[in-house]
Amino acid sequence: MQAKAFPSPKKTCDTSLRHDLAMNKGLYLLAIPIIAFFLVFNYAPMGGLLIAFQDFKPQRGILGSNWVGVKNFVDFFTNPSFWTILRNTLVISLLGLVIAFPMSIVFALQLNEINWKPFKKTIQTVSYMPYFISLVVICGLVTEFCASNGVVTGIFCAITGKPAENLLTNPNYFWAINLLSDLWQNLGYSSIIFVAAITSVSAELHEAAAIDGATRLRRVWSITIPSIMPTIVTMLILRCGSLLSVGFEKILLLYSPSTYSTADVISTHVQRLGIEKAQYGYSTAVGLFNSVINTILLITANHFSRKYTDTAVLQGRKKR
Amino acid sequence: MIERTTKSRVVFCVFNYGLLIVFGFLCVIPLWHVLMASVSDPRLLMGSAGIIFAPLGRATLDGYGIVLSNSAVLLGYGNTLLYVVANAAAGTLLTAIAGFLVSRKNFRLAKPLTAFIMFTMIFNGGLIPTYMVIRGLGFINTRWAIIVPALMNAYYVIVMKSAFEQLPAAYEESAKLDGAGSARILFQILLPLIKPTVVVVFMFAVIGQWNSWYPASIYLPRAREKWPLQLIMRSLLIQNDVSKLLTTSSGDANHVINMTGNLVKYCVTVVGTLPILIAYPFAQRYFVTGITLGGVKG
Repeated sequence: MQAKAFPSPKKTCDTSLRHDLAMNKGLYLLAIPIIAFFLVFNYAPMGGLLIAFQDFKPQRGILGSNWVGVKNFVDFFTNPSFWTILRNTLVISLLGLVIAFPMSIVFALQLNEINWKPFKKTIQTVSYMPYFISLVVICGLVTEFCASNGVVTGIFCAITGKPAENLLTNPNYFWAINLLSDLWQNLGYSSIIFVAAITSVSAELHEAAAIDGATRLRRVWSITIPSIMPTIVTMLILRCGSLLSVGFEKILLLYSPSTYSTADVISTHVQRLGIEKAQYGYSTAVGLFNSVINTILLITANHFSRKYTDTAVLQGRKKR
Repeated sequence: MIERTTKSRVVFCVFNYGLLIVFGFLCVIPLWHVLMASVSDPRLLMGSAGIIFAPLGRATLDGYGIVLSNSAVLLGYGNTLLYVVANAAAGTLLTAIAGFLVSRKNFRLAKPLTAFIMFTMIFNGGLIPTYMVIRGLGFINTRWAIIVPALMNAYYVIVMKSAFEQLPAAYEESAKLDGAGSARILFQILLPLIKPTVVVVFMFAVIGQWNSWYPASIYLPRAREKWPLQLIMRSLLIQNDVSKLLTTSSGDANHVINMTGNLVKYCVTVVGTLPILIAYPFAQRYFVTGITLGGVKG
């Protein structure tokens, strides 16, 4: 059993399963709770997806409920609010992708231009902080500030000249409120990864370019950004994979029946019909639709990134 | 590197510093507002609109008195502490074991286990089937529903895995030669070596559980006495359910409730947020390394 000091890869491949069991008895024992956990809490729900094809009744269970084929999916696609929900999900998600994501890169680049260390450190500390505050508190603040006598409402009405109202009950403003509060909470934190990537950009490249007369902006454009491209692509892929799963906990806290027309997204629809109204089969079908699209998006994005930038997230490693 | 000071450079710097200062203030002001409002005179607070930069009237800690003597808030606080400790301790332990297992080179199960765990990052059963499983386990309205399902997730297992993989194999081999078993190698030799990663995983478990409200809202519908603080805060701050909390404690008349209600909201917010904000500066140096450890390297 001590023969492992110089393992030859070939030999380990050939060892029989029984040999491996004997050698790594402790490891197999440790693996039991881990496998059990993922089986119960991740794989069992995947099996539970079967109820998407059923008229599921909890008292009858999966085996006893009636099979209805794709009826639940048809119900969803023909639901009058289907297009609204899909549009809301995509708009809220794309707003994050098109506005919040580039802004976090710009924020990191801005921080990098600061030479005064204490200042940089302070801004970093302060801007990461909102990320750690609970959504409940943040939505409580949003509710307060957007109320008819709130600060944000006051500023907004002063600029636009509109009469004061509770902004949260007006469906026209929901996307903006959601995006801005998202920026407030996450801009600093989501820039961390880019700040880290920028610090690893070679200083020699910058010096050489500076000697050749490249301006600061030019160097950012031609050295810094290309150098952090793998990180940008990686983060972009991760975002694409969750395009249809917007931060729904926040929407749950902020929306109300009066703003369903712009605030209701796929996951809140699932939550409302599944948990609150107990339409299990239907809401599982909606959730499955969501998961499948997400998986396809993730795999597609990963494929393209591997093809064009040599960076693949799902493999977890950079190809050279 | 020496920079030449050109005019455009100066303009850029002013612009850059200016924007960052504005954003920095925007991050702090709402929190400052809550803190100052929580020590304000409740009568003045009623009619005030706008950001509160300094306590209105004479500064008072009355609100905190009400909040900290309220049994619902204290119970919620206790529940949150229990969930945080149980979840973070057991969760970090299991995540470390899982990361250790999938990073073993001479272990047949390592590769299949990695795939088994990583697949859960790509695809999941979704809300309702997960709810059904938790219900099937009999966890509804019990504390297990909050603690157990959140113990591990694939992402942190992968973070641990990459930390273990960066350690030289020699540590493990020499321990093995000296006759150490798997558990001993993991707990006495390897884990101390990847302490920063362990701290990061633990810290995110603590923060995640402290701020968590959604699982409790669907799994503990009829067990108010088991609610974490965040859920109690939700009914106060967002559903505006102040009277329930206040009348249960003191049975005051309506106008008093209206007056102190606002104050209580601010105080609860502070009480529920302060522990995280106090711990945050100490944790900061860890999470910056932690995120970079997370396998994504530029």
